[in-house]
Amino acid sequence: MEFAVRLEGVSTTYEGETRPAIMDINLSVERGELLTIIGPNGAGKTTLLETINGLLPSEGVVEVLGLSVREHGRSLRRRIGYVPQDFMVEPGTPFLAKDVVAMGRVGKVGPLRPLREEDWEVIWAVMEALGIAELANRPVGKLSGGQQQKVMIARALAKEPELLLLDEPFSSLDAKARATVCELLEELRGERGVTVLVVTHDLSAIPDGCERLILINGGRITADGRPEEVFASDAFLKAYGRVRTVIT
Amino acid sequence: MIALPSALLLRAIIGGVLAGALCSLVGVFAVRLRMSSIGFCMSHSAFAGAALGTLLALDPLLMAMSAALATAALLGPVSDKARLPANVIAGIMFPMTMALAFVFLMLLPGPVVGLAALSLLWGSVLTVSPTDVILLAVLMALATSFTVLFWKELNAVLFHPRMAEADGINSRAYMNAIIFMLGAVVALSLKLVGGLLVYALVMNSASTALQLSYDMRKVFLISPLVGVMAFLGGFGLSMWLDLPVGSSIVLVSSLIFASSVALSPKRKRGEGGGRER
Repeated sequence: MEFAVRLEGVSTTYEGETRPAIMDINLSVERGELLTIIGPNGAGKTTLLETINGLLPSEGVVEVLGLSVREHGRSLRRRIGYVPQDFMVEPGTPFLAKDVVAMGRVGKVGPLRPLREEDWEVIWAVMEALGIAELANRPVGKLSGGQQQKVMIARALAKEPELLLLDEPFSSLDAKARATVCELLEELRGERGVTVLVVTHDLSAIPDGCERLILINGGRITADGRPEEVFASDAFLKAYGRVRTVIT
Repeated sequence: MIALPSALLLRAIIGGVLAGALCSLVGVFAVRLRMSSIGFCMSHSAFAGAALGTLLALDPLLMAMSAALATAALLGPVSDKARLPANVIAGIMFPMTMALAFVFLMLLPGPVVGLAALSLLWGSVLTVSPTDVILLAVLMALATSFTVLFWKELNAVLFHPRMAEADGINSRAYMNAIIFMLGAVVALSLKLVGGLLVYALVMNSASTALQLSYDMRKVFLISPLVGVMAFLGGFGLSMWLDLPVGSSIVLVSSLIFASSVALSPKRKRGEGGGRER
């Protein structure tokens, strides 16, 4: 079995801290899988995502797309689309929306080669798919929170990634936009076998089509399984203080 | 009005135009990446270098440039090692280099010999040599080539260094290259506009350009033009009213910046107005 993500005994400790933010994480995600990571605030969800993306030094085995993140971090990140949590820029930021989306392709294309027509075709296609093509020439800082979030999702998709790491990607999106993104993710998984990891603290934001959920609490994975199994688990009750029976 | 030999005047103008354009080009990087204290730090380490050169009977300008370049080469790696922003390291080094400069000046036998070092604080565009002009032209070609060749990577780093890193771009290497380029530009421009005033030339033109456009390509075109305008305006004013050249350049560039704030499309409601809801 070839895994898109494989973690073994992984712990990540922030500089100046003694207690790891995530500890002893064991996790395997198959290629093409859609995995949602839930957990209360401060549980370690973002740390887990950034550890997988090689943005944080960690202990243990972190393998992404069959390669060690420690050894191949930068080249792997050219194949990983990443949407950070609550990414907002100042209103005066001197970049147009289309240029920010295009930045997603820069690492993949590599230095000394400008973006070509075929690159711009991909960039326009993702902008159109997300309904932001008409915002292309608007300053990115002037866009609303939801529009900026779409720009960041488009930036991640413009890379044509093999793995998508989305940190609270729906937090500023309305229901329609959320459905559009979910459809797009399903399309990417179905057509190109893209693996998708979505982090959310909001249980109503679990994407449609999610068949596997993991719950993180106190830096550890405390439940892993089908959504209904996780919602019915003691770990869920402990983390959220209630049982969830209906998936929205 | 002061009458100057035409060759001297022409050399001063070419040198000043090049320094104005160069400082303003790297200024966009400095302003966008919030490296303001780095400019300060470079110019004062150059001053310390010049003071040391005078003390050791070495060429003060050569020592000034060496000190600024050494600082530029050290800042990036030291900030990487200390895991602190380069701006913080520069903020600590700035008073330290100033203190060293005054220690070196105090050790000099008389007050007159320190003038060579002190002149670097104020600059003198009229003493620019043909070699200075050639060096400025070479640096201009290098800085422009660097910006054009690595435009898309630099653009991503200028937008958000950590996001660029998440896209597989070596942000740290580009930031260190920018810091080194900034150091080289400051070191070469010192003789013309002086250590205290080069900082204004670096910051003012870029800040002006950032008031006028949301498009980074345009910002990179406008900033050097503003730098050239500030130099020519300041130089003309200085010749006309017999004022110090460096001070006149800074006053003109500050005036241009103030006008850009008043006329900025970013501050008007409507087309460039507030955030969408």
